[in-house]
Amino acid sequence: MIARIAYAFREMWASFRRNLTLTVAAILTSAIALLLVGTTFLIQRAFDNLLVQWRGDVEMIVFVRSDATPEQISLIDQTIKAAPTIIDVEKLRYLDKTQSYEEAKRIFVGDPVTLSLLTPDNIPSQFKVVPITQDPELVRSLSEQYRSLPGVQDVALAEDEFQVISTLSRFVRTVTLVMSLVLLVVAVGLIWNTIRTAMFARRREIEVMKLVGATNWFIRVPFMLEGLLHGLLGGIASCGGLWVLNSAWTNGVAGFKPGTGISSLVVPSGYLTGVMLMILAIGALVGAVGSAIAASRFLDV
Amino acid sequence: MIRLESVTKRYGTETVAVRDASFDIAKGDFVFLVGPSGSGKSTLLRLINRQEQPERGAVWVAGQNVNEMAESRVPYLRRNMGNVFQDYKLLPNKTVFENVAFALEVIGKPRHVINRQVPVVLELVGLAGKEDRFPEQLSGGEQQRVSIARAFVNRPLIMLADEPTGNLDPATGEGIMALLEEINRTGTTVVMATHDHRVVNAMRKRVIQLDRGVIVRDQERGVYE
Repeated sequence: MIARIAYAFREMWASFRRNLTLTVAAILTSAIALLLVGTTFLIQRAFDNLLVQWRGDVEMIVFVRSDATPEQISLIDQTIKAAPTIIDVEKLRYLDKTQSYEEAKRIFVGDPVTLSLLTPDNIPSQFKVVPITQDPELVRSLSEQYRSLPGVQDVALAEDEFQVISTLSRFVRTVTLVMSLVLLVVAVGLIWNTIRTAMFARRREIEVMKLVGATNWFIRVPFMLEGLLHGLLGGIASCGGLWVLNSAWTNGVAGFKPGTGISSLVVPSGYLTGVMLMILAIGALVGAVGSAIAASRFLDV
Repeated sequence: MIRLESVTKRYGTETVAVRDASFDIAKGDFVFLVGPSGSGKSTLLRLINRQEQPERGAVWVAGQNVNEMAESRVPYLRRNMGNVFQDYKLLPNKTVFENVAFALEVIGKPRHVINRQVPVVLELVGLAGKEDRFPEQLSGGEQQRVSIARAFVNRPLIMLADEPTGNLDPATGEGIMALLEEINRTGTTVVMATHDHRVVNAMRKRVIQLDRGVIVRDQERGVYE
Protein backbone atom coordinates (compact mmCIF):
# COMPACT_ATOMS: atom_id res chain seq x y z
CA MET A 1 0.00 0.00 0.00
CA ILE A 2 2.75 2.41 1.01
CA ALA A 3 4.67 1.38 -2.11
CA ARG A 4 1.65 2.29 -4.24
CA ILE A 5 1.19 5.69 -2.63
CA ALA A 6 4.90 6.42 -2.93
CA TYR A 7 4.77 5.35 -6.57
CA ALA A 8 1.79 7.62 -7.32
CA PHE A 9 3.46 10.67 -5.81
CA ARG A 10 6.81 9.98 -7.44
CA GLU A 11 5.21 9.66 -10.87
CA MET A 12 3.06 12.73 -10.31
CA TRP A 13 6.14 14.79 -9.48
CA ALA A 14 8.15 13.49 -12.44
CA SER A 15 5.36 14.28 -14.86
CA PHE A 16 4.73 17.64 -13.21
CA ARG A 17 8.28 18.76 -13.90
CA ARG A 18 8.44 17.39 -17.41
CA ASN A 19 5.76 19.69 -18.89
CA LEU A 20 6.74 22.94 -17.28
CA THR A 21 5.34 25.39 -19.85
CA LEU A 22 1.88 23.86 -19.99
CA THR A 23 1.90 23.34 -16.26
CA VAL A 24 2.64 26.99 -15.58
CA ALA A 25 -0.10 28.06 -18.01
CA ALA A 26 -2.62 25.79 -16.32
CA ILE A 27 -1.69 27.01 -12.86
CA LEU A 28 -1.79 30.69 -13.86
CA THR A 29 -5.19 30.36 -15.50
CA SER A 30 -6.69 28.65 -12.52
CA ALA A 31 -5.07 31.23 -10.24
CA ILE A 32 -6.65 34.10 -12.17
CA ALA A 33 -10.03 32.38 -12.33
CA LEU A 34 -9.95 31.66 -8.61
CA LEU A 35 -8.81 35.18 -7.81
CA LEU A 36 -11.86 36.47 -9.61
CA VAL A 37 -14.12 34.06 -7.76
CA GLY A 38 -12.65 35.21 -4.46
CA THR A 39 -12.97 38.87 -5.41
CA THR A 40 -16.62 38.30 -6.26
CA PHE A 41 -17.25 37.00 -2.76
CA LEU A 42 -15.32 39.83 -1.11
CA ILE A 43 -17.10 42.53 -3.13
CA GLN A 44 -20.41 40.93 -2.32
CA ARG A 45 -19.61 40.83 1.36
CA ALA A 46 -18.49 44.47 1.32
CA PHE A 47 -21.72 45.56 -0.35
CA ASP A 48 -23.65 43.45 2.14
CA ASN A 49 -22.13 45.50 4.97
CA LEU A 50 -23.42 48.60 3.32
CA LEU A 51 -26.84 47.15 2.62
CA VAL A 52 -27.28 45.11 5.75
CA GLN A 53 -29.74 47.56 7.26
CA TRP A 54 -31.92 47.46 4.14
CA ARG A 55 -32.05 43.69 3.85
CA GLY A 56 -35.44 42.07 3.18
CA ASP A 57 -37.16 44.77 1.07
CA VAL A 58 -36.86 47.33 3.84
CA GLU A 59 -37.64 50.72 2.29
CA MET A 60 -37.86 52.92 5.34
CA ILE A 61 -36.13 52.96 8.72
CA VAL A 62 -37.53 54.91 11.64
CA PHE A 63 -34.72 55.65 14.10
CA VAL A 64 -35.88 56.06 17.70
CA ARG A 65 -34.01 58.34 20.10
CA SER A 66 -31.94 56.38 22.60
CA ASP A 67 -33.67 58.21 25.45
CA ALA A 68 -37.23 57.54 24.20
CA THR A 69 -39.66 56.20 26.78
CA PRO A 70 -41.45 52.86 26.30
CA GLU A 71 -44.72 54.78 25.84
CA GLN A 72 -43.24 56.79 22.98
CA ILE A 73 -41.93 53.60 21.33
CA SER A 74 -45.30 51.90 21.53
CA LEU A 75 -46.97 55.02 20.11
CA ILE A 76 -44.62 54.91 17.11
CA ASP A 77 -45.37 51.21 16.70
CA GLN A 78 -49.12 51.85 16.72
CA THR A 79 -48.83 54.75 14.30
CA ILE A 80 -46.93 52.64 11.77
CA LYS A 81 -49.41 49.80 12.12
CA ALA A 82 -52.31 52.24 11.59
CA ALA A 83 -51.63 52.27 7.83
CA PRO A 84 -51.96 48.56 6.92
CA THR A 85 -52.82 49.33 3.30
CA ILE A 86 -49.47 51.04 2.77
CA ILE A 87 -47.24 49.20 5.24
CA ASP A 88 -46.73 45.43 5.41
CA VAL A 89 -47.54 45.02 9.12
CA GLU A 90 -46.47 41.38 9.12
CA LYS A 91 -42.94 42.28 8.09
CA LEU A 92 -42.53 45.25 10.41
CA ARG A 93 -39.52 44.60 12.65
CA TYR A 94 -38.28 46.41 15.72
CA LEU A 95 -34.55 46.22 16.48
CA ASP A 96 -33.81 47.07 20.10
CA LYS A 97 -30.56 48.76 21.13
CA THR A 98 -28.57 45.53 21.40
CA GLN A 99 -29.62 44.36 17.95
CA SER A 100 -29.00 47.78 16.45
CA TYR A 101 -25.53 47.78 17.95
CA GLU A 102 -24.75 44.40 16.37
CA GLU A 103 -25.83 45.78 13.02
CA ALA A 104 -23.74 48.91 13.49
CA LYS A 105 -20.65 46.79 13.99
CA ARG A 106 -20.99 45.66 10.40
CA ILE A 107 -21.86 49.05 8.98
CA PHE A 108 -18.89 50.73 10.66
CA VAL A 109 -16.45 47.85 10.22
CA GLY A 110 -13.96 50.06 8.42
CA ASP A 111 -14.63 53.08 10.60
CA PRO A 112 -13.56 52.18 14.14
CA VAL A 113 -13.64 55.81 15.26
CA THR A 114 -17.37 56.16 14.67
CA LEU A 115 -18.02 52.73 16.08
CA SER A 116 -16.19 53.57 19.29
CA LEU A 117 -18.55 56.51 19.85
CA LEU A 118 -21.50 54.13 19.84
CA THR A 119 -22.49 51.96 22.77
CA PRO A 120 -25.50 49.70 23.24
CA ASP A 121 -26.82 52.50 25.48
CA ASN A 122 -26.58 55.55 23.28
CA ILE A 123 -27.43 53.92 19.95
CA PRO A 124 -30.87 54.60 18.47
CA SER A 125 -33.19 51.62 18.22
CA GLN A 126 -35.08 51.28 14.94
CA PHE A 127 -38.23 50.16 13.15
CA LYS A 128 -37.61 48.46 9.78
CA VAL A 129 -40.57 49.20 7.53
CA VAL A 130 -41.49 47.15 4.45
CA PRO A 131 -44.14 48.86 2.34
CA ILE A 132 -46.90 47.07 0.41
CA THR A 133 -47.58 49.92 -1.95
CA GLN A 134 -45.58 50.41 -5.14
CA ASP A 135 -45.98 54.17 -4.91
CA PRO A 136 -42.84 55.80 -3.45
CA GLU A 137 -44.70 59.09 -2.87
CA LEU A 138 -47.05 57.43 -0.39
CA VAL A 139 -44.08 56.06 1.57
CA ARG A 140 -42.45 59.48 1.49
CA SER A 141 -45.50 61.24 2.85
CA LEU A 142 -45.72 58.68 5.66
CA SER A 143 -42.09 59.32 6.53
CA GLU A 144 -42.86 63.03 6.94
CA GLN A 145 -45.65 62.11 9.33
CA TYR A 146 -43.40 59.79 11.41
CA ARG A 147 -40.69 62.38 11.63
CA SER A 148 -42.94 64.61 13.75
CA LEU A 149 -43.74 61.90 16.32
CA PRO A 150 -42.19 62.32 19.78
CA GLY A 151 -39.13 60.13 20.30
CA VAL A 152 -38.32 59.80 16.61
CA GLN A 153 -34.78 60.84 15.83
CA ASP A 154 -34.83 60.46 12.08
CA VAL A 155 -36.50 58.59 9.21
CA ALA A 156 -34.34 57.19 6.41
CA LEU A 157 -35.65 56.15 3.01
CA ALA A 158 -33.93 53.49 0.89
CA GLU A 159 -34.83 55.43 -2.20
CA ASP A 160 -32.63 58.29 -1.05
CA GLU A 161 -29.71 56.30 0.23
CA PHE A 162 -29.07 52.90 -1.16
CA GLN A 163 -31.18 52.09 -4.18
CA VAL A 164 -28.33 52.93 -6.51
CA ILE A 165 -25.79 50.93 -4.56
CA SER A 166 -28.12 47.97 -4.40
CA THR A 167 -28.51 47.98 -8.18
CA LEU A 168 -24.79 48.46 -8.64
CA SER A 169 -24.07 45.59 -6.27
CA ARG A 170 -26.33 43.26 -8.22
CA PHE A 171 -24.70 44.28 -11.49
CA VAL A 172 -21.17 43.79 -10.20
CA ARG A 173 -22.10 40.42 -8.76
CA THR A 174 -23.54 39.19 -12.06
CA VAL A 175 -20.59 40.37 -14.12
CA THR A 176 -17.90 38.96 -11.84
CA LEU A 177 -19.77 35.71 -11.36
CA VAL A 178 -20.15 35.13 -15.09
CA MET A 179 -16.54 36.06 -15.75
CA SER A 180 -15.22 33.76 -13.05
CA LEU A 181 -17.38 30.88 -14.27
CA VAL A 182 -16.03 31.32 -17.80
CA LEU A 183 -12.46 31.44 -16.49
CA LEU A 184 -13.04 28.35 -14.34
CA VAL A 185 -14.18 26.46 -17.42
CA VAL A 186 -11.05 27.66 -19.22
CA ALA A 187 -8.95 26.46 -16.29
CA VAL A 188 -10.56 23.02 -16.40
CA GLY A 189 -9.85 22.93 -20.14
CA LEU A 190 -6.19 23.87 -19.72
CA ILE A 191 -5.64 21.33 -16.98
CA TRP A 192 -7.39 18.75 -19.14
CA ASN A 193 -5.04 19.55 -22.01
CA THR A 194 -1.94 19.47 -19.81
CA ILE A 195 -2.84 16.05 -18.46
CA ARG A 196 -3.68 14.79 -21.93
CA THR A 197 -0.25 15.91 -23.14
CA ALA A 198 1.41 14.31 -20.14
CA MET A 199 -0.35 11.04 -20.86
CA PHE A 200 0.57 11.20 -24.51
CA ALA A 201 4.20 11.77 -23.59
CA ARG A 202 4.08 8.62 -21.53
CA ARG A 203 2.02 6.43 -23.84
CA ARG A 204 4.75 3.78 -24.07
CA GLU A 205 4.81 3.39 -20.32
CA ILE A 206 1.03 3.29 -20.18
CA GLU A 207 0.98 0.59 -22.86
CA VAL A 208 3.47 -1.53 -20.92
CA MET A 209 1.57 -0.94 -17.70
CA LYS A 210 -1.64 -2.16 -19.26
CA LEU A 211 0.05 -5.24 -20.69
CA VAL A 212 1.60 -6.31 -17.41
CA GLY A 213 -1.75 -5.90 -15.67
CA ALA A 214 -1.70 -2.55 -13.88
CA THR A 215 -5.25 -1.52 -13.02
CA ASN A 216 -6.70 1.54 -14.71
CA TRP A 217 -6.87 3.32 -11.38
CA PHE A 218 -3.23 2.66 -10.72
CA ILE A 219 -2.38 4.27 -14.07
CA ARG A 220 -4.79 7.18 -13.60
CA VAL A 221 -4.09 8.25 -10.05
CA PRO A 222 -0.71 9.95 -10.63
CA PHE A 223 -2.22 11.99 -13.47
CA MET A 224 -5.23 12.94 -11.40
CA LEU A 225 -2.96 13.96 -8.53
CA GLU A 226 -1.01 16.09 -10.98
CA GLY A 227 -4.16 17.92 -12.05
CA LEU A 228 -5.21 18.31 -8.45
CA LEU A 229 -1.82 19.86 -7.71
CA HIS A 230 -2.26 22.32 -10.60
CA GLY A 231 -5.60 23.45 -9.19
CA LEU A 232 -4.30 23.60 -5.66
CA LEU A 233 -1.23 25.65 -6.62
CA GLY A 234 -3.52 27.99 -8.58
CA GLY A 235 -5.63 28.27 -5.46
CA ILE A 236 -2.64 29.08 -3.27
CA ALA A 237 -1.45 31.75 -5.72
CA SER A 238 -4.90 33.33 -5.84
CA CYS A 239 -5.12 33.30 -2.02
CA GLY A 240 -1.92 35.33 -1.96
CA GLY A 241 -3.34 37.72 -4.54
CA LEU A 242 -6.59 38.01 -2.63
CA TRP A 243 -4.78 38.82 0.59
CA VAL A 244 -2.71 41.51 -1.09
CA LEU A 245 -5.78 43.01 -2.77
CA ASN A 246 -7.77 43.04 0.42
CA SER A 247 -4.99 44.57 2.50
CA ALA A 248 -4.49 47.32 -0.05
CA TRP A 249 -8.23 47.99 -0.14
CA THR A 250 -8.61 48.03 3.64
CA ASN A 251 -5.72 50.49 3.99
CA GLY A 252 -7.14 52.64 1.23
CA VAL A 253 -10.57 52.77 2.85
CA ALA A 254 -9.08 53.91 6.14
CA GLY A 255 -8.07 57.12 4.35
CA PHE A 256 -11.67 58.02 3.43
CA LYS A 257 -13.70 60.48 5.44
CA PRO A 258 -15.82 58.56 7.99
CA GLY A 259 -19.54 58.41 7.34
CA THR A 260 -19.33 58.43 3.54
CA GLY A 261 -20.44 54.81 3.33
CA ILE A 262 -17.16 53.75 1.73
CA SER A 263 -15.93 52.76 5.16
CA SER A 264 -18.52 49.99 5.25
CA LEU A 265 -16.88 48.29 2.27
CA VAL A 266 -14.42 46.35 4.40
CA VAL A 267 -14.27 42.61 4.84
CA PRO A 268 -13.46 41.11 8.27
CA SER A 269 -10.41 38.83 8.25
CA GLY A 270 -12.43 35.84 9.43
CA TYR A 271 -14.54 36.06 6.30
CA LEU A 272 -11.42 36.44 4.16
CA THR A 273 -10.01 33.22 5.65
CA GLY A 274 -13.27 31.45 4.84
CA VAL A 275 -13.13 32.66 1.24
CA MET A 276 -9.50 31.53 0.94
CA LEU A 277 -10.31 28.02 2.17
CA MET A 278 -13.21 27.86 -0.24
CA ILE A 279 -10.93 28.93 -3.10
CA LEU A 280 -8.42 26.22 -2.26
CA ALA A 281 -11.26 23.70 -2.31
CA ILE A 282 -12.59 24.99 -5.64
CA GLY A 283 -9.06 24.94 -7.07
CA ALA A 284 -8.52 21.33 -6.05
CA LEU A 285 -11.93 20.44 -7.46
CA VAL A 286 -11.23 22.18 -10.79
CA GLY A 287 -7.92 20.32 -11.07
CA ALA A 288 -9.43 16.98 -10.14
CA VAL A 289 -12.31 17.38 -12.62
CA GLY A 290 -10.07 18.46 -15.52
CA SER A 291 -7.56 15.67 -14.99
CA ALA A 292 -10.20 13.03 -14.25
CA ILE A 293 -11.88 13.72 -17.59
CA ALA A 294 -8.52 13.51 -19.37
CA ALA A 295 -7.37 10.42 -17.47
CA SER A 296 -10.49 8.45 -18.21
CA ARG A 297 -10.68 9.47 -21.86
CA PHE A 298 -7.06 9.07 -22.91
CA LEU A 299 -6.10 5.83 -21.22
CA ASP A 300 -6.27 4.02 -24.56
CA VAL A 301 -3.20 5.64 -26.02
CA MET B 1 -5.32 -23.36 -20.63
CA ILE B 2 -6.41 -21.48 -23.78
CA ARG B 3 -9.47 -22.38 -25.84
CA LEU B 4 -10.95 -20.59 -28.84
CA GLU B 5 -14.47 -21.52 -29.95
CA SER B 6 -15.41 -20.44 -33.49
CA VAL B 7 -13.84 -17.02 -33.08
CA THR B 8 -14.36 -14.42 -35.79
CA LYS B 9 -12.81 -10.97 -35.67
CA ARG B 10 -13.24 -8.24 -38.25
CA TYR B 11 -11.61 -4.83 -38.41
CA GLY B 12 -14.11 -2.38 -39.77
CA THR B 13 -16.79 -4.02 -41.89
CA GLU B 14 -14.59 -5.44 -44.64
CA THR B 15 -11.32 -6.88 -43.38
CA VAL B 16 -11.70 -10.28 -41.77
CA ALA B 17 -8.69 -10.80 -39.49
CA VAL B 18 -9.74 -14.17 -38.08
CA ARG B 19 -12.53 -16.39 -39.38
CA ASP B 20 -14.16 -19.18 -37.36
CA ALA B 21 -10.99 -20.15 -35.50
CA SER B 22 -11.10 -22.95 -32.91
CA PHE B 23 -8.28 -24.60 -31.00
CA ASP B 24 -7.34 -25.86 -27.58
CA ILE B 25 -3.95 -25.30 -25.97
CA ALA B 26 -3.17 -27.38 -22.88
CA LYS B 27 -1.17 -26.22 -19.88
CA GLY B 28 2.55 -26.46 -20.58
CA ASP B 29 2.16 -26.60 -24.38
CA PHE B 30 4.50 -24.82 -26.77
CA VAL B 31 2.61 -23.67 -29.86
CA PHE B 32 3.70 -21.81 -33.00
CA LEU B 33 1.21 -19.66 -34.88
CA VAL B 34 2.58 -19.44 -38.40
CA GLY B 35 1.55 -17.79 -41.64
CA PRO B 36 2.44 -14.78 -43.80
CA SER B 37 2.06 -11.19 -42.63
CA GLY B 38 -1.58 -10.23 -42.25
CA SER B 39 -2.78 -13.80 -41.84
CA GLY B 40 -4.16 -13.09 -38.36
CA LYS B 41 -1.40 -14.36 -36.04
CA SER B 42 -1.09 -11.15 -34.05
CA THR B 43 -4.84 -10.78 -33.88
CA LEU B 44 -5.10 -14.21 -32.25
CA LEU B 45 -2.59 -13.16 -29.59
CA ARG B 46 -4.46 -9.91 -29.02
CA LEU B 47 -7.68 -11.85 -28.62
CA ILE B 48 -6.07 -14.05 -25.97
CA ASN B 49 -4.82 -11.14 -23.85
CA ARG B 50 -8.04 -9.24 -24.49
CA GLN B 51 -6.58 -6.31 -26.32
CA GLU B 52 -9.27 -7.22 -28.84
CA GLN B 53 -12.79 -8.57 -28.47
CA PRO B 54 -14.11 -11.12 -30.98
CA GLU B 55 -17.18 -10.42 -33.03
CA ARG B 56 -18.42 -13.99 -32.66
CA GLY B 57 -17.26 -16.99 -30.65
CA ALA B 58 -15.60 -17.24 -27.27
CA VAL B 59 -12.05 -17.08 -25.92
CA TRP B 60 -11.32 -19.02 -22.73
CA VAL B 61 -8.16 -18.52 -20.67
CA ALA B 62 -7.51 -20.52 -17.49
CA GLY B 63 -11.19 -21.48 -17.28
CA GLN B 64 -12.51 -17.93 -17.72
CA ASN B 65 -14.43 -16.54 -20.64
CA VAL B 66 -12.34 -13.43 -21.26
CA ASN B 67 -14.99 -11.72 -23.39
CA GLU B 68 -17.60 -11.80 -20.67
CA MET B 69 -15.10 -10.66 -18.09
CA ALA B 70 -15.75 -7.26 -16.48
CA GLU B 71 -13.37 -4.53 -17.66
CA SER B 72 -12.07 -4.19 -14.12
CA ARG B 73 -10.96 -7.85 -14.05
CA VAL B 74 -8.85 -7.61 -17.22
CA PRO B 75 -5.69 -6.39 -15.43
CA TYR B 76 -5.79 -9.48 -13.20
CA LEU B 77 -6.14 -11.71 -16.26
CA ARG B 78 -3.06 -10.06 -17.75
CA ARG B 79 -1.02 -10.69 -14.62
CA ASN B 80 -1.15 -14.35 -15.64
CA MET B 81 0.31 -13.58 -19.07
CA GLY B 82 3.70 -12.37 -20.20
CA ASN B 83 3.94 -10.49 -23.49
CA VAL B 84 7.01 -10.36 -25.72
CA PHE B 85 7.14 -8.30 -28.90
CA GLN B 86 9.25 -7.96 -31.99
CA ASP B 87 10.15 -4.38 -31.01
CA TYR B 88 10.77 -5.25 -27.31
CA LYS B 89 8.71 -2.28 -26.02
CA LEU B 90 11.32 -1.40 -23.40
CA LEU B 91 11.25 1.97 -21.68
CA PRO B 92 14.34 3.85 -22.91
CA ASN B 93 14.75 6.06 -19.83
CA LYS B 94 14.86 3.11 -17.43
CA THR B 95 17.75 0.74 -16.77
CA VAL B 96 17.54 -3.01 -17.31
CA PHE B 97 16.75 -3.53 -13.64
CA GLU B 98 14.14 -0.76 -13.64
CA ASN B 99 12.46 -2.05 -16.80
CA VAL B 100 11.94 -5.46 -15.21
CA ALA B 101 11.09 -4.02 -11.80
CA PHE B 102 8.48 -1.79 -13.46
CA ALA B 103 6.30 -4.82 -14.22
CA LEU B 104 6.18 -5.72 -10.54
CA GLU B 105 5.96 -2.15 -9.33
CA VAL B 106 2.83 -1.31 -11.28
CA ILE B 107 0.95 -4.31 -9.95
CA GLY B 108 1.72 -3.12 -6.44
CA LYS B 109 4.47 -5.53 -5.37
CA PRO B 110 6.49 -4.26 -2.40
CA ARG B 111 10.10 -3.21 -2.81
CA HIS B 112 11.60 -6.21 -0.98
CA VAL B 113 9.82 -8.63 -3.32
CA ILE B 114 11.08 -6.66 -6.33
CA ASN B 115 14.64 -6.63 -5.02
CA ARG B 116 14.49 -10.40 -4.57
CA GLN B 117 12.79 -11.43 -7.81
CA VAL B 118 14.38 -9.15 -10.42
CA PRO B 119 17.99 -10.39 -9.97
CA VAL B 120 16.77 -14.01 -10.12
CA VAL B 121 15.00 -13.50 -13.44
CA LEU B 122 17.88 -11.45 -14.89
CA GLU B 123 20.21 -14.32 -14.00
CA LEU B 124 17.81 -16.73 -15.73
CA VAL B 125 17.83 -14.77 -19.00
CA GLY B 126 21.60 -14.36 -18.84
CA LEU B 127 21.82 -10.64 -18.10
CA ALA B 128 23.43 -10.78 -14.66
CA GLY B 129 25.88 -7.90 -14.37
CA LYS B 130 24.03 -5.69 -16.87
CA GLU B 131 21.38 -4.41 -14.44
CA ASP B 132 22.44 -0.79 -14.73
CA ARG B 133 22.68 -0.57 -18.53
CA PHE B 134 20.11 1.33 -20.51
CA PRO B 135 18.33 -0.40 -23.43
CA GLU B 136 20.25 1.59 -26.05
CA GLN B 137 23.51 0.23 -24.61
CA LEU B 138 22.41 -3.35 -25.31
CA SER B 139 22.35 -5.49 -28.46
CA GLY B 140 19.02 -6.49 -29.97
CA GLY B 141 19.26 -9.98 -28.51
CA GLU B 142 19.99 -8.57 -25.05
CA GLN B 143 17.08 -6.17 -25.32
CA GLN B 144 14.79 -9.06 -26.16
CA ARG B 145 16.11 -10.90 -23.10
CA VAL B 146 15.18 -7.91 -20.94
CA SER B 147 11.72 -7.97 -22.44
CA ILE B 148 11.42 -11.72 -21.73
CA ALA B 149 12.64 -11.13 -18.17
CA ARG B 150 9.97 -8.46 -17.74
CA ALA B 151 7.30 -10.80 -19.11
CA PHE B 152 8.41 -13.69 -16.92
CA VAL B 153 9.30 -11.96 -13.64
CA ASN B 154 5.77 -12.38 -12.29
CA ARG B 155 5.84 -16.13 -13.16
CA PRO B 156 2.88 -16.06 -15.54
CA LEU B 157 0.91 -19.13 -16.62
CA ILE B 158 1.15 -18.10 -20.27
CA MET B 159 3.78 -16.40 -22.43
CA LEU B 160 2.56 -14.70 -25.61
CA ALA B 161 5.38 -13.89 -28.03
CA ASP B 162 4.75 -11.93 -31.24
CA GLU B 163 7.67 -12.41 -33.67
CA PRO B 164 10.25 -12.31 -30.87
CA THR B 165 13.08 -13.22 -33.29
CA GLY B 166 11.86 -10.94 -36.08
CA ASN B 167 14.54 -8.27 -35.58
CA LEU B 168 17.38 -10.64 -34.70
CA ASP B 169 20.03 -12.51 -36.69
CA PRO B 170 19.66 -16.32 -36.75
CA ALA B 171 22.27 -17.08 -34.06
CA THR B 172 20.79 -14.55 -31.65
CA GLY B 173 17.30 -15.83 -32.47
CA GLU B 174 18.36 -19.32 -31.50
CA GLY B 175 19.45 -18.04 -28.09
CA ILE B 176 16.05 -16.44 -27.61
CA MET B 177 14.31 -19.68 -28.61
CA ALA B 178 16.42 -21.64 -26.15
CA LEU B 179 15.33 -19.23 -23.46
CA LEU B 180 11.66 -19.57 -24.37
CA GLU B 181 12.03 -23.35 -24.32
CA GLU B 182 13.58 -23.17 -20.88
CA ILE B 183 10.66 -21.05 -19.70
CA ASN B 184 8.30 -23.58 -21.26
CA ARG B 185 9.99 -26.34 -19.26
CA THR B 186 9.03 -24.58 -16.02
CA GLY B 187 5.40 -25.35 -16.95
CA THR B 188 4.60 -22.05 -18.63
CA THR B 189 2.39 -22.32 -21.71
CA VAL B 190 4.10 -20.56 -24.64
CA VAL B 191 2.25 -19.28 -27.71
CA MET B 192 4.51 -17.71 -30.31
CA ALA B 193 3.53 -16.06 -33.57
CA THR B 194 6.27 -16.19 -36.22
CA HIS B 195 7.04 -16.47 -39.90
CA ASP B 196 10.59 -17.63 -39.26
CA HIS B 197 10.87 -21.05 -40.96
CA ARG B 198 14.18 -21.93 -39.40
CA VAL B 199 12.98 -21.49 -35.86
CA VAL B 200 9.83 -23.53 -36.38
CA ASN B 201 11.57 -26.35 -38.21
CA ALA B 202 14.33 -26.58 -35.61
CA MET B 203 11.95 -26.91 -32.67
CA ARG B 204 9.40 -29.46 -33.90
CA LYS B 205 6.57 -28.18 -31.74
CA ARG B 206 2.84 -27.94 -32.38
CA VAL B 207 2.14 -25.69 -35.39
CA ILE B 208 -1.11 -23.83 -36.10
CA GLN B 209 -1.00 -22.38 -39.60
CA LEU B 210 -3.14 -19.45 -40.69
CA ASP B 211 -4.01 -18.23 -44.14
CA ARG B 212 -6.00 -15.04 -44.54
CA GLY B 213 -7.55 -15.47 -41.09
CA VAL B 214 -8.46 -19.14 -41.47
CA ILE B 215 -6.75 -22.01 -39.64
CA VAL B 216 -5.57 -24.33 -42.42
CA ARG B 217 -3.42 -26.70 -40.35
CA ASP B 218 -3.02 -27.73 -36.70
CA GLN B 219 -0.26 -30.29 -36.36
CA GLU B 220 1.71 -31.79 -33.45
CA ARG B 221 5.51 -31.74 -33.93
CA GLY B 222 5.04 -29.83 -37.18
CA VAL B 223 7.30 -27.86 -39.51
CA TYR B 224 6.71 -24.52 -41.23
CA GLU B 225 6.51 -25.98 -44.80
